[in-house]
Amino acid sequence: MLARIAWRNILRNKRRSLILIMSIVVGVVALVLTEGFAVGMLQQMLTNQIGTDAGYIQIHKRGYQSDPTLENSMTDPGPVHEVLEKVGGVLNYSERLRVYGLISSAYNSYGVSIVGIVPNEESRITTISRYITKGTYLSGKPGQILIGASMAEKLRVGLGDKVVIMASQRDGSIGSEACRIEGIFETLNSGFDQSHVYIPIQTARQMLNAGGLVSEFVINPKDPHEMNEVVSQIRRSIEALPGASNRYEVLTYEQMLPLLVAQLELYKQALYLIAVLIAFALIFGIIDTMLMSVMERTQEFGISMAVGMSHGRIFKMVMTEALFLAIIGTATGLAASYIITSQLSHSGWDLSTFSASLKSLGIGSVIYPVVQTSSVIQTVLIIPIATLLGAVYPALKAVRLQPVEAIRAS
Amino acid sequence: MNTNASEIVRVDNVRKVYSDNGVPVDALRGINMTVLPGDFSVIAGPSGSGKTTLLNLIGTLDKPTEGAVYIDGEDVASKTRRQLADIRLRKIGFVFQAYNLNPVLSALENVEFTMMLRGIDAAERKRKSLALLEELGIGELANKRPNEMSGGQQQRVAIARAISNDPRLVLADEPTANLDSDTAVKLLELMEKLNHEDRITFVFSSHDPQVIGRAHRLLILKDGQIVDDKVNV
Repeated sequence: MLARIAWRNILRNKRRSLILIMSIVVGVVALVLTEGFAVGMLQQMLTNQIGTDAGYIQIHKRGYQSDPTLENSMTDPGPVHEVLEKVGGVLNYSERLRVYGLISSAYNSYGVSIVGIVPNEESRITTISRYITKGTYLSGKPGQILIGASMAEKLRVGLGDKVVIMASQRDGSIGSEACRIEGIFETLNSGFDQSHVYIPIQTARQMLNAGGLVSEFVINPKDPHEMNEVVSQIRRSIEALPGASNRYEVLTYEQMLPLLVAQLELYKQALYLIAVLIAFALIFGIIDTMLMSVMERTQEFGISMAVGMSHGRIFKMVMTEALFLAIIGTATGLAASYIITSQLSHSGWDLSTFSASLKSLGIGSVIYPVVQTSSVIQTVLIIPIATLLGAVYPALKAVRLQPVEAIRAS
Repeated sequence: MNTNASEIVRVDNVRKVYSDNGVPVDALRGINMTVLPGDFSVIAGPSGSGKTTLLNLIGTLDKPTEGAVYIDGEDVASKTRRQLADIRLRKIGFVFQAYNLNPVLSALENVEFTMMLRGIDAAERKRKSLALLEELGIGELANKRPNEMSGGQQQRVAIARAISNDPRLVLADEPTANLDSDTAVKLLELMEKLNHEDRITFVFSSHDPQVIGRAHRLLILKDGQIVDDKVNV
């Protein structure tokens, strides 16, 4: 019966209840969307980094991750090829020869990461071939180069122009190669575009006088969720190679991009703070409205006390009202969030106005929200708790009423 | 202080002082009275004489500044708020001038309300509430909300609510003040009937001559003191 009274008390002032429910709905939508867009943005940042360059898994000669030099590259990659052909969970893989060097035009020179790739294999591993905005992707012919749009601008070069790349060989001498610009790419990360150039791996080996040298194998698993299982399989197979003990390091993207992963974790922690702030804003809104509702019913509370209603029951009744409002508001808010996010997960949120800033972070100008189950659970917990916390003060106010004075209230 | 076992209420040398903007105001000055089972008593007096204050003290809604109020021999001053709520729930029924029914509940639910507070099961309280409403002549209004009833009908529901828990005592504060003369007479006849037939004890505060005229015992209050106490008037 107490629940029935609480429910009818909600219905008796529909406008106020609606305002209160709307404030809860706004809180839920704000929480879900803030988290959805933040998580979506962070995942895009990570996915772009994985898709553009890192891949999910890499194999290096041990020590390359901490000191990525030619000396730490693999001189005999054949056994690794054999392993990767056999491991079932591997979707695609490709080898690369990566070296830090210089790219020069007639106007300027800049330091870059020169990545020697097997073009057709690389196009199955990373998305760089899809970001060509001018010219074409590498065909594998010697002397081709892909450079980023921002680098082309800085070097003041265009398609078909010649640039010279140079880097230290293993013996310390300088190797160089004149390359013709085959294509210009523009990824979602302007920093990446300024710091990476791609050439066929044979051209890289020729420039570095490096024979069959390989710096890294980049591997994508069939199912990214099974990445750790695939890594274990690769490690076991590599360790089983004759004389391979401890010669290679098999790394996940989390190990290769520790700074980015840490940054993502940091953002996720910051989201908790945002959730707490939203909850606080909601608490004060609830206090205000519930207090008004309680004060308007002062006489009723007085009469209820006079006929023997205990303070505990009065407290429970006000809290039950808040609980009903919380349930309705949270359910409506989740439904509204679902409609908004399902729409935006297709069309995305176009933030072209901030595209320069977003590109510097490695995010596209369109953000697609990602609503995780954990964020829904968090919302379902935080919002009703905030609503109930907001109702505690008004409920205590009702409990503290003196019957005689409350009955006299008009 | 020893109290007579048959006394429902004993008011012993009670003084009540209110603060009016920091100025102490004596609302009651040395009141002594008792309420016995079956009483149909009226506390009368002009406005401001202290009638409602005395009724609130008897109803355990307030505590005296000095003196003591005993309900069934128990000094209410020593009771906690929770215990006082329990005393009111089990021993005292209230009828207010403005009816004061819960506006979100039907007539039936308003009567059931106090029984619910006592933990009586739903079927039993519904059966008893319907019977009470029938007895008070408003059975057909069981599902009506207060705003769908006349003042007299609402006051009948209030009486049903007051007696639903079989209280030792019903306190009625100016119960006819908001009613027209005919309705007031019918309501008083109803309460007299409950007093005669069901031996329900009533204490009224009123200055309505119709109420005073039906009192078995009349206490006249003036300036916070009982100036006259007539039995079998």
